[in-house]
Amino acid sequence: MESQSIDHAALLPLYLAAATAAVALFAGRAAKAATMIGLAASGAAAIWLAAGPTRRTFAVDDWFSFTADETAMGLAALFAALTLLVAAISGRTESEYLFLLAVSAAGGITLASSRDLITLIVAVETLTVPLYVLVARPGRDGAEAGVTFLIASITASATALMGAALLYSAAGTVHFAGLAPALAEAHTGLVAAGTALLLGGLAFKLAAAPLHSWAPLVLERAPLPIATYLASASKLGGAIAVIWVVHFGLAAGAGAEAGLVLAVLAVASIAVGNIGALVQRRTVGLLAWSGIAHAGYVLAPLAALSTASGRENPAAAASAALAYAVFFVLLEAGAFASLTAVRDDGGRIDELGGLWRAAPGPATVLLISVIGLAGLPPALAGTFAKVAILEWLASAALWMAIVVVAGAVVGLAYYLRLARTVLLGEGARARPRFTVAVLAAGLVLAAASLAPGLVLEFTSMSQ
Amino acid sequence: MGLILVAAVALPLAGAVLTWWLRRSGVGVAAAALALAAVALLPAARGPGWWHRVDYPWAPSIKLDFALTVDGVSWPLALLTALLGLLCCIHNARTGPPVLTALLLAVQGASTAVFLADNLILFFIAFEAVLLPMWAVVYRYGDPATRRHAAAKFALFTVAGSLLMATGLFAAAADTGTASLAQIIAAGGVDRDLSLAVFTLLALGFAVKAPLWPLHSWLPDAHTAAPTVGSVLLAGVLLKLGTYGLIRVAGGLAPDGAAEAAGALGVLAAIGIIVASLVCLGQGEIKRLIAYSSVGHMGFVVLAFATGTEAGVRAALFANLAHGLITPLLFFLAGALKDRTRTGLLAELGGLRLAAPALAGLLGFASLASLGLPGLAGFWGEAFTVYAAVERGGAWFALAAAAALGAFLTAAYLLRMLKHVSHGPPAPAVEGVAGTSRTEIALWSPLVAATLALGLAPGPLLDLFATGVL
Repeated sequence: MESQSIDHAALLPLYLAAATAAVALFAGRAAKAATMIGLAASGAAAIWLAAGPTRRTFAVDDWFSFTADETAMGLAALFAALTLLVAAISGRTESEYLFLLAVSAAGGITLASSRDLITLIVAVETLTVPLYVLVARPGRDGAEAGVTFLIASITASATALMGAALLYSAAGTVHFAGLAPALAEAHTGLVAAGTALLLGGLAFKLAAAPLHSWAPLVLERAPLPIATYLASASKLGGAIAVIWVVHFGLAAGAGAEAGLVLAVLAVASIAVGNIGALVQRRTVGLLAWSGIAHAGYVLAPLAALSTASGRENPAAAASAALAYAVFFVLLEAGAFASLTAVRDDGGRIDELGGLWRAAPGPATVLLISVIGLAGLPPALAGTFAKVAILEWLASAALWMAIVVVAGAVVGLAYYLRLARTVLLGEGARARPRFTVAVLAAGLVLAAASLAPGLVLEFTSMSQ
Repeated sequence: MGLILVAAVALPLAGAVLTWWLRRSGVGVAAAALALAAVALLPAARGPGWWHRVDYPWAPSIKLDFALTVDGVSWPLALLTALLGLLCCIHNARTGPPVLTALLLAVQGASTAVFLADNLILFFIAFEAVLLPMWAVVYRYGDPATRRHAAAKFALFTVAGSLLMATGLFAAAADTGTASLAQIIAAGGVDRDLSLAVFTLLALGFAVKAPLWPLHSWLPDAHTAAPTVGSVLLAGVLLKLGTYGLIRVAGGLAPDGAAEAAGALGVLAAIGIIVASLVCLGQGEIKRLIAYSSVGHMGFVVLAFATGTEAGVRAALFANLAHGLITPLLFFLAGALKDRTRTGLLAELGGLRLAAPALAGLLGFASLASLGLPGLAGFWGEAFTVYAAVERGGAWFALAAAAALGAFLTAAYLLRMLKHVSHGPPAPAVEGVAGTSRTEIALWSPLVAATLALGLAPGPLLDLFATGVL
């Protein structure tokens, strides 16, 4: 049997991230510098590949398992950048910490290129497993967070795997390219069950309802840099997993079933997340619950596949969802990074009162992020995200657009409360840290606000 | 000329940033003056239909272009915005904090962008951009007792309206394949089947902003809580965003839907006129009374638009602009009165005619203009509204009668207000108040002059509206 040749260039970002992890483990004191350089190199390699032609490798006949196109490489670079940010705001850390972080990044970098169910699920697991350790701070609260995350994650993984297995039994292949034609003729019940289980399981990573309840608990108890990672890179992973499965695998053969499942997940997430956030008194709790609502907004464009007009243009649905996901994780990263810069733990919202005067730099980034999450100018990044999904939903599924609108109105109530506390409250004392990292996050948000094309171009998907 | 269009939007925004940065209100006044000059220059070298146009691509994949244009419908509103912006900045530069000037300029810049936007996505973004600075004006500088509640209510109502409106805009853009307002209007709007849905979404959004009964309840609270300059911009500019949107955008994108929904819209408008008048008759606080009178006046605008006739639409545009001159004047005067007497309750006022004759005279003038005295700006819009409704005949005759009754009630409550405030023996709160200063007179005189000019010679403005693209 002849072994096929592998396009190693396409795997370069992954190699670099994996090598970074290995180096970080043994680099001792230089671990942090090595991690940051390695991740930057990985991101740079991804950008270089994104500029070049699309590369594909690991083929079975015409079906490729690994595709390094512009979208995938753009997302890989984003994973590297988000991990870099987390490493930068982690303060003094041990080499094991950085090792685990880099391993997780390697999972994310692979995820964006995966084009079959096995690669995708392995990538998601690689992204998640290191976090079991990272979320657990020493002490009882940390152990609780770790155990909660572990149990929720394993349940979700098992659910997703079961769904993947059902789809495999229905279609006879795990390649996305093969699923599309096969699912259309497969047993409907099997397809529906497989779709529901797979999407439900993957939605866990995104913290979409009904598998959302781990998120507020874990984010609140985890160290803030890891909460940043969970809220940004890890959620991006969940979003990509769902969008990839739906867009490349299910849209053509089982679009209606997937759309229906996602509609339920999206509406539930928007309702649960917004109501949960409304009663939060703690900063991280508010961001975590509102993150659940945002997971709903990410899924909403895909939910339009449940309608006939939505199924006519599945690529637009995937593009809208991905664009929203990218803008959203950038804003989340900005919010959590600036919070990390001024606090050791999340704390209550009123403890941020008057942060604007105490620490203008991080407070500005926090305000831009929070207003962006509310979707309002002048934080245009968030406005563009809303425009991207509402534009698609207005043409495909008007009722879903109304649901999103209702959610956003409720969202404004609590985001405005946080913003005005930061601006006008009193009492915050802060000695800002990580100035460069927070400034960089702020600059990225400003760039995405002025030139949304940067995000919208690489997130636009064609089939 | 394209550059001047950009300048009209960019100058206030740049002024806002600079004022914030330097903490100098003078910078803001300069920026507002330049912006007014820029808008005033726009009619030069104009062509028929759309006068000028700029178009820079911004984010093509979401159909967003930085496209601005201006015509006979949008220019008077842009000019009104620039004028009120300048007056508010000057008013605030004398006494208020520089940050408030920056916020006012931000509202002005974003509102100008709404009036001049030719791209639906840009229109939405500009519409949304008004929200936060206006929220901050009410929340930060408003009346301590009510500002929090009022600001939150304003923000939630507005964002709900603007997102519904956005859904309608995006549905129209998806249906026609372009986001250019001018192109969609030229093509006759969206598909007939979709028209009613699009119009409903847009009208809901704009009705919150306008505001149309029963979506008006945020307005009296916001007006009462807001500082004087905030009330002026709310009445003179923000409400116009709603009516301009209704006439130009909702009417332009979905003319079929507008025709179908005309009856419902007309009935709501007529109810609004009557309800607002009745509320005003029992209202005991001067700013709240003026705020409710805005609901009534906007009812006239919406009713005139709903008739769908040429006379009706022009009446709507005229009444809209007249309200934008008279009500800000009333709010300036009410603000001056409240500053002097520390109360806005009608029961505690009285005898202003003796204590401060100039102020009382101006208040009388503005009230007479607002109640639609012939010869002043308020008359034409409302008279033509009733005329347009009568012209439609049938059931519209009843709406015309309701509007006429409303106009009568308007006269009643404004005269009642004058009786309480100006006449009678001087109340303790009014005794010994300062007269009007020269700066105040200078500040108010452009509004007085424009009210007189439009009242005596409505022709040129009506002709200008006739050149507009609708």
